[in-house]
Amino acid sequence: MEMKRNTTKLLWLLMFFSDIVSFSYEESMRERAIELMQDARLIDGHNDLALRLRILYQNMLSRVNLRELNMTHTNLAKLQAGYVGAQFWSVYVLCSAQNKDAVRLTLEQIDVVKRMCNSYEELELVTTSQGISDSIRIACLIGIEGGHSIDSSLATLRMYYDLGVRYMTLTHSCNTPWSESSSKGIHNFYPSVTGLTAFGQEVVKEMNRLGMLIDLSHTSYFTAKAALSISKAPVIFSHSSAFSICNHSRNVPDDILQQLENSLLVPICLNWIIYSYHFDHIKKIAGSESIGIGGDYDGVEGFPEGLEDVSKYPTLIEELLRRGWTETELKGVLRENFLRVFREVENQINLILVMGLGCYPKGSCHDQIINKP
Amino acid sequence: MKRNTTKLLWLLMFFSDIVSFSYEESMRERAIELMQDARLIDGHNDLALRLRILYQNMLSRVNLRELNMTHTNLAKLQAGYVGAQFWSVYVLCSAQNKDAVRLTLEQIDVVKRMCNSYEELELVTTSQGISDSIRIACLIGIEGGHSIDSSLATLRMYYDLGVRYMTLTHSCNTPCSPMKDSEPMVKEMNRLGMLIDLSHTSYFTAKAALSISKAPVIFSHSSAFSICNHSRNVPDDILQQLVSHIGLDHFDHIKKIAGSESIGIGGDYDGVEGFPEGLEDVSKYPTLIEELLRRGWTETELKGVLRENFLRVFREVENVRLKTKLNLDSY
Repeated sequence: MEMKRNTTKLLWLLMFFSDIVSFSYEESMRERAIELMQDARLIDGHNDLALRLRILYQNMLSRVNLRELNMTHTNLAKLQAGYVGAQFWSVYVLCSAQNKDAVRLTLEQIDVVKRMCNSYEELELVTTSQGISDSIRIACLIGIEGGHSIDSSLATLRMYYDLGVRYMTLTHSCNTPWSESSSKGIHNFYPSVTGLTAFGQEVVKEMNRLGMLIDLSHTSYFTAKAALSISKAPVIFSHSSAFSICNHSRNVPDDILQQLENSLLVPICLNWIIYSYHFDHIKKIAGSESIGIGGDYDGVEGFPEGLEDVSKYPTLIEELLRRGWTETELKGVLRENFLRVFREVENQINLILVMGLGCYPKGSCHDQIINKP
Repeated sequence: MKRNTTKLLWLLMFFSDIVSFSYEESMRERAIELMQDARLIDGHNDLALRLRILYQNMLSRVNLRELNMTHTNLAKLQAGYVGAQFWSVYVLCSAQNKDAVRLTLEQIDVVKRMCNSYEELELVTTSQGISDSIRIACLIGIEGGHSIDSSLATLRMYYDLGVRYMTLTHSCNTPCSPMKDSEPMVKEMNRLGMLIDLSHTSYFTAKAALSISKAPVIFSHSSAFSICNHSRNVPDDILQQLVSHIGLDHFDHIKKIAGSESIGIGGDYDGVEGFPEGLEDVSKYPTLIEELLRRGWTETELKGVLRENFLRVFREVENVRLKTKLNLDSY
């Protein structure tokens, strides 16, 4: 009798302790993630809030409170909750504007980003790696999404640089007269263009000269290969994933990943377990120093449970901690890898960077991974 | 006696020669001394358009110091004592609703490259920048509202690129009608601190802008309608309201109507074909100043014409910017 009672107490204690242990483990993972992120606030490579502002409010900022806005994945409170320290705001304009008013529309999107960043004390427009490092607010930068914004004019590219634009995605979902997109059949522009034309090569060289990051998300395999062979400075994929894990044309094949001494890549899509696969794969192929984060929030519809909006980044970091990623590796993913590359582009040194994210509709290749036994 | 008288006559003639020679020489010298001390600010020059037409904006094809196919080159500007130049980034009216925006960006780009490529030039964007510059200070002016494609955001981005005036129209109307639609644009230009230029505008557009604007406006290259009744020129009732730019024979008239403090210089070199004898290119400005000295203009009045009047106006436009709240909205 005595024994049984003691055994029972012992079991209780074990269970209790087990609870405490696992509870502490859970809590400490979350705490660790947050501590890490407080110390190394996230740099996100791609967000389409500016497009939402155009569609919903015609860029009239007086109609909206960006701190509390709840019609979008992004608002200032959520960014702060997500420990976002720097955000590239996309100034994407529709492909259908190519050869029409794409330039003016791009200027209007640059304008709304600037007004947004000047109107809120939580935000601060910067244009350099040092600006990101020094900022105690959310540092704002500007990225053009699609070469159709320059209307085949290097002068226009230079003027965008002067306005503060610091990356350009060479294509969106349409070919330009000088570069090929990975998207086929969505638009019918310049169907015979493959990779980069001679002018496309000049665009890459001019971007090197200016110190503007070359973004290869959305570009075709041949465009990416061509840009990588010509560019003397690091390139990025601002929001793409690994083709090996998910064979969608938006994703980056291993042979390109291998070419990169460093690539940054973070998908947040479908199931947040999935991008862990992407993370681990890219870490294996290209090294963890090659990875960063590009959420594409407000640029696509579906986000996985647990990562519904920009406040959820700590969940991502927590998962990676669970998977054994070290704090050093994660600080790299959060910000240090991107800053290194940006500095190199500013100094025009020959390294390469990929950072990205990809989201795909249901029934895509990721289903196989999710449904794996 | 006769021999002595002859000698006396010689002396008198000689002296007379010396006196008139000194008078001529001293007018020229005075003009030059004045201009060395108060280098000219010119409100309008179309060299950038020539560079596009002749060289497709490829500056490697041209030496801007010695270029002789244009009214303007750097040597001539220096000889003309030009201390600051507004370079027009005009694009053809026929580009309205087409690629006017991209073309304007290309013209802004060529001006910037030009000013960065020559040590004689220096891009500035403020009145202080003009005052401080020991080189030829370069500024940028847009010529024609068609360049903004009815977009105030585009206007703001041009301001960010360094544009500091816009001529509201060139030789074509824009979608903005004189009264109602001009208002947001004039107010936005006031808020930004961009000079409003009324050259080329209609009488009604000018009157509307003048009634709305809280900052001084300019006519970067126009003359007096009373002297020459061309629609490009400014009628007296408008002159009475403002600061303006005028040509040689118009100076006295405008001084009478609006005061010498309202006058500056906008040559429109390389923007038109025919220039008067004596003023064929940008090196000839001293001739203009010399003539005004002859007509009795004082050095103070001429320093005003050369630069001080413009600087005063530009500072006031900058002050209006400082006093105005941020605009959250776009149109």
